[in-house]
Amino acid sequence: MEYWILFGSFVFLLMIGTPIAFCLGVASFVTVTYLGLPPVVIFQRLNSGVSVFALMAIPFFIYAGELMVRGDIARRLVALAGSMVGHFKGGLGQVNILTSVMFGGISGSAAADTSAIGGIMIGQMEERGYDVDYAVAVTVTSSMISLMLPPSHNLIIYSISAGGKLSIADLFTAGIIPGFILAVSLMVAAWIMARRRDYPTEPFHGWSMVGRLFINALPGLILVAIIFGGVRSGIFTASESSCIAVVYALFATFIAYRTLSWEAFVGATLGAVRTTAMVLLVIGSAAGFGWLLAYLRIPADLVEFMQGISDNPIVVLLLINVTLLVLGTFMDMSPLIVITTPIFLPVAMAFGVDPVHFGIILILNLGIGLCTPPVGTVLFVGCAVGKISIWQVMRSIGPFYAAAVVTLLLVTFIPALSLWLPALFR
Amino acid sequence: EISLKASDTHPDGYPTVEGVKAMGKMLEEKTDGRICIEMFHSAQLGEEKDTIEQTQFGVIDLNRVSFGPFNNIIPETQVPSLPYIFRSVDHMHKVMDGEIGQQILDAFSDHDLVALTTYDAGARSFYNSQKPIDSLDDLEGMKFRVMQSDLFVDMVGALGANATPMPYGEVYSSIQTGVIDGAENNWPSYESSGHFEVAGYYTLDQHLMVPEVLVMSKQTWDGLSEEDQALVMEAAKESTKVQRELWAEREAESEEKVRAAGSEIITDIDKTPFIEAMDPVYEKYVTDETLKDLVARIRAVE
Amino acid sequence: MRSVARVTGIIGRIALYLSGTGLVIMTAMIAAQVFWRYVLNDSIIWTEPGSVMVMGWFIFLGAAVGVREGYHLSFDVMLMVLPNRAKLWCYSVSDLVVVAFGFGMIWYGTQLALKTAGNKLPSLGISGAFDFIPLVGGGVLLVIFSLERLARRAAGMPTARFGETVDEDELNGLVPTNRIEENQ
Ligand code: NA
Ligand code: NA
Repeated sequence: MEYWILFGSFVFLLMIGTPIAFCLGVASFVTVTYLGLPPVVIFQRLNSGVSVFALMAIPFFIYAGELMVRGDIARRLVALAGSMVGHFKGGLGQVNILTSVMFGGISGSAAADTSAIGGIMIGQMEERGYDVDYAVAVTVTSSMISLMLPPSHNLIIYSISAGGKLSIADLFTAGIIPGFILAVSLMVAAWIMARRRDYPTEPFHGWSMVGRLFINALPGLILVAIIFGGVRSGIFTASESSCIAVVYALFATFIAYRTLSWEAFVGATLGAVRTTAMVLLVIGSAAGFGWLLAYLRIPADLVEFMQGISDNPIVVLLLINVTLLVLGTFMDMSPLIVITTPIFLPVAMAFGVDPVHFGIILILNLGIGLCTPPVGTVLFVGCAVGKISIWQVMRSIGPFYAAAVVTLLLVTFIPALSLWLPALFR
Repeated sequence: EISLKASDTHPDGYPTVEGVKAMGKMLEEKTDGRICIEMFHSAQLGEEKDTIEQTQFGVIDLNRVSFGPFNNIIPETQVPSLPYIFRSVDHMHKVMDGEIGQQILDAFSDHDLVALTTYDAGARSFYNSQKPIDSLDDLEGMKFRVMQSDLFVDMVGALGANATPMPYGEVYSSIQTGVIDGAENNWPSYESSGHFEVAGYYTLDQHLMVPEVLVMSKQTWDGLSEEDQALVMEAAKESTKVQRELWAEREAESEEKVRAAGSEIITDIDKTPFIEAMDPVYEKYVTDETLKDLVARIRAVE
Repeated sequence: MRSVARVTGIIGRIALYLSGTGLVIMTAMIAAQVFWRYVLNDSIIWTEPGSVMVMGWFIFLGAAVGVREGYHLSFDVMLMVLPNRAKLWCYSVSDLVVVAFGFGMIWYGTQLALKTAGNKLPSLGISGAFDFIPLVGGGVLLVIFSLERLARRAAGMPTARFGETVDEDELNGLVPTNRIEENQ
């Protein structure tokens, strides 16, 4: 009965459009009251859920990204990527993807990637004769790369949802190879599409041009080294590293580039508040929800249930993947991470899946959900930037979905893709 | 039918978890299954600070926790957390099982908790990647990770070394990269964390020998009949014996592994200068008369 | 109602800017912690718990403003297919639920604060009650902003729909409007 009350009230509130943070909080509150437990426990969990030091990396990384975006870094990255791969088949499509790889090193937000790079490139691609639906499709799907490459605040959310004991350095490192595989798969898809539709290529201006544009983009690229180097070496915790990223971004944009005005600074700060306060509130309310799941032993029951279905980890992982893909088409990434991690991670671990590996599967899977209708935040952003409807994008996005799903399958069934690199550092 | 929900942050199979499970078995046998214990291990219900509050509300019935989180709430609990307060494990057992231990446990009752018994958590000692340490001079200027607590930071400072609070998960790579020289912990953690692989010098100075405590929610306790209260208390005390045995076994296993891996264990040190260096720390933290009295009485226990 | 909206608009602005200031303070505190540790070779012990407390304010204030401005994550697939009247009902039930939760934050947050008032927070040396004040403060704002949404709807004024950007002036009652956003 308490299962029905917990999930029933959650789904009901979700359906009537209550913000997810409150769906989680109120559903837990109702269930706790039904069980005759003191409801204060939900609010205590909420408060301790938002009082975790590791959580601070999330606003900091997003803040650093906001500052860099408003400080002109995206345009410099596009120029650098353009000089490097513009002459490949599929020209600007390849540039778009490579820019996301570079942008991924300073931001973990796919929506920020799409609006920043899309804002610059979609118009440019249209001018050069690319279909706008293709431009939006490539922008949207390649933004998933920034979820995989460090810094990925979503992996921090995962680490916290998994009980806070997973090394963030390991998770960051684990995303690198899958991120590059995703980039290569998308580039192949872009190449095939460009051949079929005969899109133009750009001229190559020589290596000295690449060098010049590299130096131009260097202050942005150094941030990658600071973040990853700091976390990986253990010199800084993820929270400290992300704070240094903010300080550095301020330094680079205020002083080095001189591109950040006071208004832009205030805008970036308030933008970071708006984006992160709600995500962090979801994490806080999920602490109460997760507590109830454990108290009712739901994950343990699910493990038993899954073991009854199959003893084959491949089957179980496929089942989990399909469930996540379906959920991901309806809901946003961060709430799904906090809701599904306490449920599915114990199952995956019971079948011998490494929690670091599972984190990468989860992020990639839910990342695909960001790009798919009916609810795909990143898809919405891309459509808004390209001023076209979701259904128009669907004409060109198929091969890119295929590339992402192939990457997901590779990452799911070859654990070494995620685990080999972190093991090297240990 | 009474099912007591018990919380522990340690994983299944850990001596404290097994201790509470053993207590559950005893209760079940004595009451023909009328009273049992349902264990939530691995911090399923939250970290210690949170579960303590939940125990106070009566959401959790039994909770195995460290003294640390109580230090700011119940002054008496600071005493067993003082560095070098116990001379040896036997000394610690004698104190905690005797009237001093009872006085400390009784202090919990003002905070909606009933402290039933204490468990062993071993002795924490320094390990590092640089050199064998057998005197205060060796410690001079070295950097050690400690738990986030003023007392431990001050303790390391008083020994002439630098304290760096950092999350436990980052310690391994921080030692490896030389950000810190070492850390401090007990045998099982030194071994299971793999820190012995990067910090091969372990000096058994046993600076901290903080036992852990099993508390029951006051609300749950008051809901039990007097006979049941007696049964619970008896089973708890019995479980301490089981737990201590398991703990000793665990320590021995870890020690064997670490020694086999080639770590250098420094056992032969003169602790007197270390203890003397603690004077300013005691001055700062042992301020009220009750605590001073407890410290003096503990030192007097043979 | 419009003058009420103006007042809540100001409260919302203040809360948002306070939240932003909190983010800047957090940055400064952690930056100082890093600087002290690696440059001055000394450690500050209060920055970590201190910044976590600031983060509590940052989250609860920012999230409360989010209710007013509509930047929370929600699920609106179901709502798309509903007729307008039903939609309005859904919004109102949803706002009532948030009001109730806000009251919960105030009531239980106060209980928790009272219970821990006697404790001293490690490293900060202040009363444990401070841990729960952001929860109470956020609850108060949530109640105000959600009640405002209900009142606006009753008065035919627009409320921000979750997941959409809104005209701030319109939201703050600064420009006249006769559009009910749910009818679009
Ligand atoms: Na990234
Ligand atoms: Na892109």
